[in-house]
Amino acid sequence: MKLNDLLKKLIKKPDSREVAKKRLKFALVYDKLEVSDDMLNNLQQELLEVISRYFEIDRESINLDIQRSDDYSALVFNTPILSAKHQQGTSAA
Amino acid sequence: MEGKVIVMTSGKGGVGKTTVTASLGAALALQGKRVAIVDMDIGLRNMDVVMGLENRIVFNVVDVIQGRCKLKQAAIKDRRIDNLFLIPASQSDEKDVIKPENMVWLTKKLRREYDFTLLDCPAGIEHGFKNSIAAADEAVVICTPDVSAVRDADRVIGLLYARSITPKLVVNRIIPKMVENGDMLSHEDIVDVLSIDLVGLVEMDEQVVVSSNTGTPLVSNKESKAGMAFQRIAMRLNGQPDLPIDNPMMAKGFWKKIGKKLGRKNKDAK
Repeated sequence: MKLNDLLKKLIKKPDSREVAKKRLKFALVYDKLEVSDDMLNNLQQELLEVISRYFEIDRESINLDIQRSDDYSALVFNTPILSAKHQQGTSAA
Repeated sequence: MEGKVIVMTSGKGGVGKTTVTASLGAALALQGKRVAIVDMDIGLRNMDVVMGLENRIVFNVVDVIQGRCKLKQAAIKDRRIDNLFLIPASQSDEKDVIKPENMVWLTKKLRREYDFTLLDCPAGIEHGFKNSIAAADEAVVICTPDVSAVRDADRVIGLLYARSITPKLVVNRIIPKMVENGDMLSHEDIVDVLSIDLVGLVEMDEQVVVSSNTGTPLVSNKESKAGMAFQRIAMRLNGQPDLPIDNPMMAKGFWKKIGKKLGRKNKDAK
């Protein structure tokens, strides 16, 4: 066993067990971040509704996306604002 | 008192779900409980051969649901073990012939008749799975130390949580030597990744093949390490949740144990 350990260290090949665990963790995180197009579309629709209560926005050049890197994932929503809407008493309804 | 309905599931096929279910059913019955095993794999039944009851099927679960027979007529009594019954799947029907509401109806009857009902869920997360979890009180998730099996287990666990069922995990087919050599995920790795409570660890055991060849219960084989592990899992499900879980990684011999302790100390010191 000890000799085996030593040999492994010399060859410097990581345990396949460690590799498996790392890949698994990554796969599970990735799986959970999977979002359907429908869901993104609905989200975009609802965001638009809320934002357009406060701002005039250019509905054509909106961009909603999920950006992934190794460490985190981010929801990125880009929209050009044309002007702010001035709140009126009635708009709250 | 009403019985419990436990769904046995894995997501991935081929991890030993049928064997685990048959063995736990047999073990629970040997512990004096009335047990029904329901094969939920409509169109691809297998529990009957594993339990050695294949040539005694008259009615099946679809017959019960469609009112062609009484529940008692479809329940095949095991010859070797008292209080153990199989309700076989239908081999000729389409798998969408059963609906979740049918299962709610069926399990209501089963709870009255049996202390434990084990639903052997087919692989996948479609019809058979949805039917099985629609009516379950508890769930046991089975996986092997493979990346694919653990990933599928995670998916199934998520779906069970969504139905407010907190599942327990059985890690099946552990090969201690490979884990020791760093070539197989350990149960600690798996629990760490899945964050779920264990209910048992089962070593790879050739006796499983022998027992399914002959259709005899694994748990009555005292030589079988897996059989003994299933007995203890059954005790945990049957009112002794705190029974310690045997770790297949623990060396059995006295000297080996000491060697291991020393080895661990050395490792800590590094």
